[in-house]
Amino acid sequence: MAGLKLRRIDPYRIEIEKTGAMRTSGLVYANAAIERTLEQETVLQQVANVATLPGIIGPSMAMPDIHWGYGFPIGGVAAFSKEEGIISPGGVGYDINCGVCCLLTGLTINEVRPLQERLLASLYNHVPSGVGSSNKDLAVGGKEFDQVLEKGALWAVKKGYVPTEDLEAHDDNGCMEGADPDAVSKKAMERGRPQLGTLGSGNHFLELDVVDRVLDSEKAAHFGLFEGQVVVQVHTGSRGLGHQVCDDYVHDMVASSMRHGISLPDRQLACAPVTSREGQAYYGAMAAAANFAFANRELIIYLIRQTFEQVLGGSFERFGMRLLYDCCHNIAKMERIAWEGSSREVCVHRKGATRALPPGDKRLPQRFRKSGQPVLVPGDMGRMSFILSGAQGSWETFNSACHGAGRLLSRHEAKKRSKGRQILEELRSKDIHAMAASRATLAEEIPEAYKDVADVVETITGAGITTAVARLKPFAMVKG
Amino acid sequence: MPYTLIDHTADMGVKISSPTIEMLFKEAAHALADILGGRCAQGTEEMRVQARGIDREDLLVRWLQEILYLMEVRGWRLRDAHVEELGETEVKGVLQGACVQEPLTAEIKAVTYHNLKIVHTGDVFEVTIILDM
Repeated sequence: MAGLKLRRIDPYRIEIEKTGAMRTSGLVYANAAIERTLEQETVLQQVANVATLPGIIGPSMAMPDIHWGYGFPIGGVAAFSKEEGIISPGGVGYDINCGVCCLLTGLTINEVRPLQERLLASLYNHVPSGVGSSNKDLAVGGKEFDQVLEKGALWAVKKGYVPTEDLEAHDDNGCMEGADPDAVSKKAMERGRPQLGTLGSGNHFLELDVVDRVLDSEKAAHFGLFEGQVVVQVHTGSRGLGHQVCDDYVHDMVASSMRHGISLPDRQLACAPVTSREGQAYYGAMAAAANFAFANRELIIYLIRQTFEQVLGGSFERFGMRLLYDCCHNIAKMERIAWEGSSREVCVHRKGATRALPPGDKRLPQRFRKSGQPVLVPGDMGRMSFILSGAQGSWETFNSACHGAGRLLSRHEAKKRSKGRQILEELRSKDIHAMAASRATLAEEIPEAYKDVADVVETITGAGITTAVARLKPFAMVKG
Repeated sequence: MPYTLIDHTADMGVKISSPTIEMLFKEAAHALADILGGRCAQGTEEMRVQARGIDREDLLVRWLQEILYLMEVRGWRLRDAHVEELGETEVKGVLQGACVQEPLTAEIKAVTYHNLKIVHTGDVFEVTIILDM
């Protein structure tokens, strides 16, 4: 690691010492197995680059699912002072409020197995997925679309798509404050409008899992989880709308970084002071895109509930289909933190990281006040996923945790390794049934393209940031 | 091929080499369209593209973003791209191709600025662009 000085602090933490233009140190959460995946210096250099940005509070952090991004690493967490700090669109990423939600059912695997083929085919037909997927049935225009951007999940509730109870299963009740549709460009509106209620492509998915093992019986009971239970995970974000918002503002901030005299080691880190006109305009547009994503995932949940009703015959309430939580993992948010003996308002950037509030945190709704916030950590399509809860140690990450397994192989390498293989058959031999809009996506998403999520979870729980609550195993999935 | 694909863990990189800066912009447009599955062999329609930026790197990103938008939202398919004027802060060009209804075969979220640098050595202009897939 030429140029960077690394020091292992304990079995779960590696420090990148403050050198050169770094204003603070870097802190990477990694056990020995994760450390072996950090061979490319580029990813650690990205952690160090974030540490050079003005107003950074505490270390530039990376969660154990860290991998090479652009500008910020994926898995990066950094907090910036409201007064002297910055906000960076590249620190959020192009898929603003990309996230994962988990829908509980009261059904067991034995009840669903006989119907899984029909259920999977119906989900594939009912939830639009794939490159450029659109949903004409749920399309909204004009002022109504502004309501989506202003209200997020609340819009979906008001339109009667999902029940009010869903709202408290989101950060900020699924409606990010400060959203400004006027700060969203016409191009972004054009890209996003037809895509409301769609999964998209790439690593986005819809997956049926069985709770394979309960790891903390008290918290599992609190979350409504039991062994043998069928749950549904959805991974998607703000689609073309978020991509365009990020693009528009990275471009603007390339110029504003220069105007504000901010020196950038990588132009993708383009930023502006939090309180500046450009910073505030981005915040308004980003919050609007975040609300689009909240509404998007809620509409997909609506379509999933409808599908279960049609295939199983009955109401979703009868099947116990309740939203456990919706975890947003690409966002910048104004949050109040306790830091060096005082309370400070900071702009926390989480790019490929999930908020993880501990038990007792007043920002949590009553139903999670005792357990801590559910944290969803999906793995690759062939192994397992985890449900965690925020723990008291999360203060040191500004209440942040990992968001998935973290990619290990490039798409090109994954395709090379899957050449000549029958991926669907391989999955089927493990009792996993998959449908994909594109064969290329399946090849790119082979299980070995990702780190072992068990190593990621071992690190983040070992560091005291989260508590492991349950392990899930996939049995049916739709890939974009 | 005037460009090569570069491995990037989550996304994709494209390295382009050309004898002139105008050719670099042209080949970058072709590479983008190839990756998206958005090339067409025939197509006689023309679409004008204009972008502004603070320097050549910024212009390259804006040029490609504009083409990405046209392909994703307007169904544009590219036969050829020509750069007509390329200054330090503005690029003007014309795309030849056709508008279609069929979807693209790949999704690119955006063209990034990550470590973007156009290098001019001797008779060669070279750049590596990271695309967010």
